[in-house]
Amino acid sequence: MALSYKTIKPLLLTGTNAASRWFSYIGLGIGVLLLLCSLQMFINIQQLLTRNSIRKNGSDYISIAKNITNENMGKDNRFSSADLKELKAQPFIEDAAPLIPNLFRVQASAGQMINFSSDIFIEALNNNFIDTVPPTFTWVENQPTLPVIFSSEFLEMYNVFAPSWELPQLSPATATNVAISLHCEGKFGERTFIARIVAFSDRVNSILVPENFLEWANKTLEGQDSTKSSRVFIKTKDANNSDLLKFLDQKNYRVNKDKTMFGRSKQILQGIISGLGVFGLLVILLALMLFSFYLQLVIARSRDNLQLLLTLGYSPAWLSQNMAKQFVPVYIFVVLTGLALTQVMQWSFHHFVMYDRPELSSFVHWAVLAASAVLIILSIITNYRLVKKLLYRMF
Amino acid sequence: MAPSGSGKTSLVHFLYGMRQDYNGSILYGEKNIRQFGAEDFALHRKDHISVVFQDLRLFPEQTVGENLEIKRQLNPFHPSEKIKEMAERLGIGNKLQSRAKICSYGEQQRVAIIRSLLQPFDFLLLDEPFSHLDTNNSQKAMELMLEEAKQREACIIFADLERIDYFPYTKLFHL
Repeated sequence: MALSYKTIKPLLLTGTNAASRWFSYIGLGIGVLLLLCSLQMFINIQQLLTRNSIRKNGSDYISIAKNITNENMGKDNRFSSADLKELKAQPFIEDAAPLIPNLFRVQASAGQMINFSSDIFIEALNNNFIDTVPPTFTWVENQPTLPVIFSSEFLEMYNVFAPSWELPQLSPATATNVAISLHCEGKFGERTFIARIVAFSDRVNSILVPENFLEWANKTLEGQDSTKSSRVFIKTKDANNSDLLKFLDQKNYRVNKDKTMFGRSKQILQGIISGLGVFGLLVILLALMLFSFYLQLVIARSRDNLQLLLTLGYSPAWLSQNMAKQFVPVYIFVVLTGLALTQVMQWSFHHFVMYDRPELSSFVHWAVLAASAVLIILSIITNYRLVKKLLYRMF
Repeated sequence: MAPSGSGKTSLVHFLYGMRQDYNGSILYGEKNIRQFGAEDFALHRKDHISVVFQDLRLFPEQTVGENLEIKRQLNPFHPSEKIKEMAERLGIGNKLQSRAKICSYGEQQRVAIIRSLLQPFDFLLLDEPFSHLDTNNSQKAMELMLEEAKQREACIIFADLERIDYFPYTKLFHL
């Protein structure tokens, strides 16, 4: 016949302090809720930020420049080949390429259709770093036409100020049909090319020409090699990687795109949320300590009865197992309540704050469920071990 | 048999494994009880050895019936109906529902005796079990204990101040 705990239960939980019991339950509940919510928010941020950045082949491309301050103004703030080498050597940077600038004067005009002429700059970048490279983006020596990749943002800007200058606004399709006359003039000569926009780039804020053209023009018209550049494009797995951001800060490099703004807010947010998670852990620890004091109190109060049970032949292992078992439903209830509240928080966050964005889910992440299970198991084990220790000490 | 203060209770406690402050060794079969762990003692007290303490050791807040059932359920040698029968036999049948602490010392002593008989045992240790009982009640209790011991083919170790006429001892030791 199985031994019944029911008969001896009244002997053990005599005169327990209800207030201290409820304090421990509530403390544990708050700790669990804080921990689970922090974990869920941490995952939310991770999901929101990894899915938001513009990527090509799963990598981020960002352009960096050196920070110009009052101290370094007037010095050469361009990237040397040593700087470039150092960048490439970083584990979080997959590749780096300079944006080579023109060293000669460039004047653009669009003829009859758009009565506009201006000094402009052109740059060249390794094709692997450009998001839109049509097959026509090539140039051979003596070719009078020049393909150009134009920044989408520049076209937008043009369309903003065009009406006030009585110029026509242009759609991307029309813009590609406009023949632009590029007059290049350097120390050693001048040339005019007919440039055509062959693509628009969302990634590179510049007017890009084929690399070999700019190398040729810099050398032919200005007599210089294009070795130094003010801007460098880097390819990285994650523009929001905290190591990358730390490195850039350390080197005093400026990221001129707001792509890493996500990363910076992510860094801060994750910092705050990790802090909250640690706080949650501390609260759980405190609650478990409170609970262990409560258990010690329960056991101290039933000391005589427990000792007599042991004298009569009750097994200390059986007693501790059954005493500890009394608290299992409480632990499960507390953790499940914490989980349910986390679910409510997640649903409200997704629905009311994030307006059901597809990157997020209304349900808690599986990691949160796993964490709840781990918490239940951990608290049951700690509780059992504590009761057992206290009982064996009595024997 | 020994006068007060000569160590009868200590001996019973040594034999039951409650104290270890003695020289020499106590063996049950081949096993020295000094080597027993907490679980070994629990098993031993459940299956092989039973005791009536001089200071009785009942749960004061529980009823007589509950006190007996707590011991019986640990390793039932008798069905629960047997509790009633034994209590009637020792004259405390009407006390089963009373809390132990309000029973007289003599009644509590009889409860402790019945409690010791509800489990299987090889040895029954008795530490002045009749100190608060009149001869008539003592004899009834002795009869019951002898019957129960016979049923289990068990040995009774009886410690008292003087010889009890109605205990048919086989060996008598003086401390």
